[in-house]
Amino acid sequence: MKILVPVKRVVDYNVKIRVKADGSGVETANVKMSMNPFDEIAVEEAVRLKEAGKATEIIAVSVGPAQAQETLRTALAMGADRAILVQTDAETQPLAVAKVLKALVEKEGPTLVVLGKQAIDDDCNQTGQMLAALLGWGQGTFASKIVAGEGSIAVTREIDGGLETVDLKLPAIVTADLRLNEPRYASLPNIMKAKKKPLETVTPDSLGVDVASRLTTLKVVEPAKRKAGVKVADVAALVDKLKSEARVI
Amino acid sequence: MTTTSSTTSFAASVLDPIRAIVGERGIITDPGTMQPFMESWRDGWVGRSPAVVLPDSAQALAAVVRICAETRTPIVPQGGNTGLTGASQPHADGSEIVLSTNRLNRIREIDLDNDTMTVEAGCILANIQNAARDVGRLFPMSLAAEGSCQIGGNIATNAGGVQVVRYGNMRNLVAGLEVVLPDGRIWDGLRGLRKDNAGYDMKQIFIGSEGTLGIVTAAVLKLSPLPRATATALVAVSSPSDAVDLLTRAKGKVGDRIITFELIQRFCIDIARRHVPDVPDPLNDVYPWYVLVELADQDSGERLAGMLEGILEAAMEAGEVLDGVVAASKAQADSLWRIREGIPEGQKREGVSYKHDVSVPISKVALFLDRANAALEREFPGIRPFSFGHLGDGNIHYNPIQGEDGDPAEWKARLGAVNAIVHDIVVDLGGSISAEHGIGRLRIDELPRYKSPVELDMMVALKMAFDPHNIMNPGKILRLNGNAR
Repeated sequence: MKILVPVKRVVDYNVKIRVKADGSGVETANVKMSMNPFDEIAVEEAVRLKEAGKATEIIAVSVGPAQAQETLRTALAMGADRAILVQTDAETQPLAVAKVLKALVEKEGPTLVVLGKQAIDDDCNQTGQMLAALLGWGQGTFASKIVAGEGSIAVTREIDGGLETVDLKLPAIVTADLRLNEPRYASLPNIMKAKKKPLETVTPDSLGVDVASRLTTLKVVEPAKRKAGVKVADVAALVDKLKSEARVI
Repeated sequence: MTTTSSTTSFAASVLDPIRAIVGERGIITDPGTMQPFMESWRDGWVGRSPAVVLPDSAQALAAVVRICAETRTPIVPQGGNTGLTGASQPHADGSEIVLSTNRLNRIREIDLDNDTMTVEAGCILANIQNAARDVGRLFPMSLAAEGSCQIGGNIATNAGGVQVVRYGNMRNLVAGLEVVLPDGRIWDGLRGLRKDNAGYDMKQIFIGSEGTLGIVTAAVLKLSPLPRATATALVAVSSPSDAVDLLTRAKGKVGDRIITFELIQRFCIDIARRHVPDVPDPLNDVYPWYVLVELADQDSGERLAGMLEGILEAAMEAGEVLDGVVAASKAQADSLWRIREGIPEGQKREGVSYKHDVSVPISKVALFLDRANAALEREFPGIRPFSFGHLGDGNIHYNPIQGEDGDPAEWKARLGAVNAIVHDIVVDLGGSISAEHGIGRLRIDELPRYKSPVELDMMVALKMAFDPHNIMNPGKILRLNGNAR
């Protein structure tokens, strides 16, 4: 079984996000960038499937700028076998990425695509689903557990109020949720090995995909600042405020 | 204060005039409310005091000191009370008032072009760090107690911490000071100068004096550019001497981009993992020693990560490094830090341990560890070596733990003997028995053994010049003329 794992380069989860002064987007210059955390989980799961003898090859893919090579190197250091960068400076949006991935699936012939359930920059949570629709494959989204069988895969999904297990006929799409696993650290020997693993760069054009943005961003603003609290003199004043101002009791 | 009449006269001659200066809000005499000011958080120092005084300005603090000077009332200056040597608690006889800087907590000025910040002594270290970050600067002092320790205490103890290898200790971060002298005069030395050779550098006298020469009430702090990127790795090495080779290699390649270089013995990680949740063990195998290394610079990070990987790969090819992991995200970096941060907590829960905050030249660290471990094992078979610390500064927290068998009381009784063995070796190698924690009361009786008569004479002369009546934090660092204090 060949696995394709798409990974996105995003602003590091622990960096405080700042909005550009002109409101055109989020500040990314001189900001620490890392692999989307859900994609890290997807890579980890693919590597575990390979270590368990269920997968034969892992191909990491990123659609983005030249620097996304670093993100792919991280995936290679975690255990992916080779990587493909679909290089574009366009702002990537889910439908375009799904089309790129569809083209790559047709070219590489994986039987499983494992994605993060969403990227933490745009929080779209669409790419996996769109890819499933474009390919006509089954999908197991928000996966918290994966059990690979013969020609099928059982995916436990995190849904409102509980868990749901779906059995998918391969080929299939899985999107990873937070509890699927704890991603490993890239070890030094594996970082060294990763530098020798193949990393191919292609363009969206060569795959016949137009990645031009279909959405226009009107304005990006910071969330409203929380107002300072007030101190009340006693319980009676608190109850009065809860009744008359907050209107919660 | 054993009799009613002396209590009354003390109240009338000392406490009432002080109350007149600081007001009711500025003085605590209720024993329950005073209690947090009387005891140390870790090592069991507990004292007594007739009053805790909390002035809200340097002028008020100076007026309080004047009253104490006139009445020869001894003073224990206190900041966040997080020290580890008993320097900030009063003695048990209840004769000393505690003078707290809690209410001196204003940031007076930030001068961005001069890269300085003027703060009052009671500002919490973490608040200063945040205030600097808010204006795009770094105040690099960073240590475990930063959420509660005060900058005045950091200055009085010449604090160290985890970034000394890059930014130096407190001594390097102070441009100017305001100090209340033991006679109650205020010295305004709040000069934000990088160069000032007009006579003796008086601020350096007070930095590290542990409140025995005067009370720091405000300081001009030096700010640094805020690093935009960090790269963090945990690597395994076979010995401390290989760790030193790695440090030398890294310094040659990236110089002052190294902000942290911590040596960790495997046993420390085991103990941290045994007692503290979420401490990872990210390498596949077990190795005898580890190094936590962090680089920082103004760039976006990918170049920096490349530099770190380059150094570690070359070190691996040279056999200095056996294995390692590099954090791929800040979340992973934070997780690696939990190893280092979990060690003191884990150790506290493991049993009797013998703490030594020592430094030797970096070139002698490996030799020190070999000699100390061998000497202790010879004298006290079964004792378990437990070493970690700031290798980049030659500062090792050498804290062996009692053997797994045996009566804890018996192990506890060996503290003085263990201290003597370890400190003798440290000093023989040209090291110091207190790298960053200070002397306080903890090492006061050991100091004369390790300082030359000339050096002790100079220290006493300095103390006598500033505080001839010995009212400023007596019985800390030095005992005068064989007195109890």
